[in-house]
Amino acid sequence: MSGDAQREPQPRATARPDSDLAAVRAAQRDRAAFEVLYRRYLDGIYAYAFYQLGDHHDAEDATERTFLAALAALPSFRDEGASFRAWLYRIAHNTASNARRSRFRRRAQPLPEGFERPAPDADPARLVARADELREVLDALAELPDERRQVVILRFVDGLSAAEIGEVLGRSPGAARVLLHRALRDLSARLGR
Amino acid sequence: MTTRSTPERLDEAVETLLAGERPTVDAELGPLLGVAARLSDSLRPVPPGRSFEQQLARRLSGDGGILRTARELGLPGRPWRLLAAGALSSAALGVTVTAFAVWRSGRRHHSLSQRLLQRQAR
Repeated sequence: MSGDAQREPQPRATARPDSDLAAVRAAQRDRAAFEVLYRRYLDGIYAYAFYQLGDHHDAEDATERTFLAALAALPSFRDEGASFRAWLYRIAHNTASNARRSRFRRRAQPLPEGFERPAPDADPARLVARADELREVLDALAELPDERRQVVILRFVDGLSAAEIGEVLGRSPGAARVLLHRALRDLSARLGR
Repeated sequence: MTTRSTPERLDEAVETLLAGERPTVDAELGPLLGVAARLSDSLRPVPPGRSFEQQLARRLSGDGGILRTARELGLPGRPWRLLAAGALSSAALGVTVTAFAVWRSGRRHHSLSQRLLQRQAR
């Protein structure tokens, strides 16, 4: 899908628990209302899958599976502490983890060339510098233990809070903060080399 | 007054950074926040392609979306259809077995009577 037209990136999603809950209740009554949640979280879920899997095709597949599974499971969603956003990202997390395991079995290499889709009018020099920087960051990220890498992506790509990351990973908010601290310490050592 | 842990202070500083503001941190957290700023700048949101977005929206809004979801999750898309098909298959199998048994029994009687007739003729 590298030739596919691309929108301008949206700013990182912010938590909207009240409006999410209203939209979830509407979608539980009428499936067509799910579109509101789909539009709200498509970019975030796609970006999460993309940074997890390092490939647009795999990211599209994981995004599709995530939303289809969320739509199917929506009637069983209950507002009992966990936000809809954390619930949705937990589905995305499981989907992406399965895809990673499947790819590991196939022994395919992640992060191929052309990792990003550049804008046609982008300045080539800036593009090269940005690609180099991104490559360095992604290489350092790839060396992290799985949970620490997950925390970095959820925090910096999707803007999830420590409490939400804890819900996604099945950890306490405190444990999520400790994982973030360790991840940044590891990355500081790796990126400073 | 409670002393907050390093991970708590770092998380709060990252939250401020992600909100687009400049956090003030001590020397211990300075280098880590530098890495956080680098990550925030590098790991930008990546939007999906338009055609994928529209295609998935259609699948989610149409009946096909729900059917495929059920299939992918290993669930029957129309449970009553599965039950009806199962019942019909069982009935058809029963009728076939009975018909075969009747036919087979008829053949056996037929061949037995023929053998008797042949024996009598000898």
